[in-house]
Amino acid sequence: MDTFALFIHYSLITIKSRFQYKVDAIFRSLAVFLRESASIIIIYFMLLKFENINGWNIDELLFLFSFIFFTYGLLILFFTGFRDFENMVNKGSLDRFLLRPRGLVFQIISSNADWFAAIGHGCLGLVLFIYSAGQINVDWNTTLVLYCIVSVISGVLIQGALFLFIASLSFTLIKVTNIRNILYWNTRKFAGYPLSIFHGSIQFLLIYIVPFAFVNYFPAQFILRKADLIDFPIAYIYIAPCVGFVLYALSYCYWRYSLRFYKSTGN
Amino acid sequence: METVIEGKRLKKTFKISKREKGLFGHLANLFLPKYIHKKAVDDISFTIKKGDAVGFIGANGAGKSTTIKMLSGILSPTEGSVTALGLSPDKDRIEYVAKIGAIFGQKSQLSWDLPIIDSFDLLQKIYRIPDQKYQENLAMFTKILDMKSFIEQPVRQLSLGQRMRADIAAALLHSPELVFFDEPTIGLDVVAKEKIREFIRYMNKELGVTIIFTTHDMQDIEKTCERLIIIDQGKKIYDGTVAGIKTHFGSERKLVVKFEQDYDISEVAKTPSIKIISKKDRSKEFLFKNEDIEVKSLIQYLFENYQVSDLTISEPDIEEIVRDIYDKGI
Ligand SMILES: Nc1ncnc2c1ncn2[C@@H]1O[C@H](COP(=O)(O)OP(=O)(O)O)[C@@H](O)[C@H]1O
Ligand SMILES: [Mg+2]
Repeated sequence: MDTFALFIHYSLITIKSRFQYKVDAIFRSLAVFLRESASIIIIYFMLLKFENINGWNIDELLFLFSFIFFTYGLLILFFTGFRDFENMVNKGSLDRFLLRPRGLVFQIISSNADWFAAIGHGCLGLVLFIYSAGQINVDWNTTLVLYCIVSVISGVLIQGALFLFIASLSFTLIKVTNIRNILYWNTRKFAGYPLSIFHGSIQFLLIYIVPFAFVNYFPAQFILRKADLIDFPIAYIYIAPCVGFVLYALSYCYWRYSLRFYKSTGN
Repeated sequence: METVIEGKRLKKTFKISKREKGLFGHLANLFLPKYIHKKAVDDISFTIKKGDAVGFIGANGAGKSTTIKMLSGILSPTEGSVTALGLSPDKDRIEYVAKIGAIFGQKSQLSWDLPIIDSFDLLQKIYRIPDQKYQENLAMFTKILDMKSFIEQPVRQLSLGQRMRADIAAALLHSPELVFFDEPTIGLDVVAKEKIREFIRYMNKELGVTIIFTTHDMQDIEKTCERLIIIDQGKKIYDGTVAGIKTHFGSERKLVVKFEQDYDISEVAKTPSIKIISKKDRSKEFLFKNEDIEVKSLIQYLFENYQVSDLTISEPDIEEIVRDIYDKGI
């Protein structure tokens, strides 16, 4: 409770300082929303040319996309500090956090929560989700709703675990920007589309190496049950809501281990 | 007196990757990265008792900050151990840092963009400081450190001296019993330095806070503490009273005289306690000890017997003292 209150306090003062720094802070959410919407609209028109992709029609594809956007909104609310980790280390913020009697991960999360961008991405995800689910006529029931909520949390944790893992690497390696670009940003580009359209090696990458498939494809398949699910073990749609929790736990252990190699910054 | 910090055979080695230039260098970096091991702190032990004020002094790169970082839980020692307030700073980090304060002169611990008072309010929540105590401390530090005029401003708008005072208050709001200062006076002007020293003295004497601080300014030490630890190249080379080091080394004075002509000054050097350390045409440098020679009579003697055009007397600075001790041993 106390921890949650502190998270909110941190958020409030960050928002306040954003407003002091730039008056147009509020437009940031809007800008993010519009920028990302534009990219969606382009994809939308591109996809209109096809009747369907491997049996997925346009609404189903948007449904698949919506998981990526919505989880990203939550992701940058909680994990921006790990996404931009080297910056923070170079600025010496980690020393400051180490000197304060609170969990390190908690402080990194709280002091970097990016509400403005998060609202932009999150709203887009939500709009897409509600619209496409409506078009598809999903037959909601308690199980489905619960499944979706837990899968979204798991999807956030999958990506969070990846950021945390890459941040941990920066204690022993010097630069991890390239690793992050390859592992996260490049892989993410595949994740908007049905897994079945890709070559086996990319499928392998998306399932076992950087498991974006568990962020959107398998959760969406739990609801849609498209025919191409036959290519993959059916069990994956049931374990999707757990994958994030397991990966995050592993990543956290590695983080704790790597922390002992922290060198601070010399002058 | 109760022991507050016990540092045993502390060592810290940094592994630094050595980058080579050129195409082959790049390939070499990729496949056979080379590392150099830099011993920043090399086998230092000491004990600090409750209520002590201990100054660590040493040249740039001597290992002062690294030592402070190990004592405050930021870095784990490569070898050796620290026990402070009965805890291990790195293993019991959260419990330990709640009881200490740390101030780094070269790096503010406050948010750049936030008004100072907002950072303070945040610290109250982070340290779970009860309201009443927080208000008391805030009022006290605002007064003593004279922060009223800038407490609503963000750090980026403050002068270095103001920032330092804000940083100090921030580190003390939770009433720590042990406080580390890493070069708190660096870059400050004389007046600001004096304010900081006065405050450190006050904290130690009146509030009974145990204080460890580092500096490369001997004056900081003289004005604030009785005990002094000198480190050089990661090693402890002196640990004792300030008075002790003064009588040993601090009493040396250097006299630089510029004569009107190139005299043969061997006459002056006949006095056994005066050493000539350099002769360059008309400029001569003499070294003598304060207690052996009366400055006044020496100058008088020079003026009576020679034509002097310029003359300066200086105390050896700490780097020289440290060098001296390092070369000769204590
Ligand atoms: N994070 C670091 N990484 C690599 N080398 C470091 C680091 N911190 C300090 N050093 C090196 O260790 C030595 C001691 O540094 P430091 O403790 O900062 O000295 P001081 O504070 O006495 O000036 C220096 O040679 C410095 O370059
Ligand atoms: Mg230093």
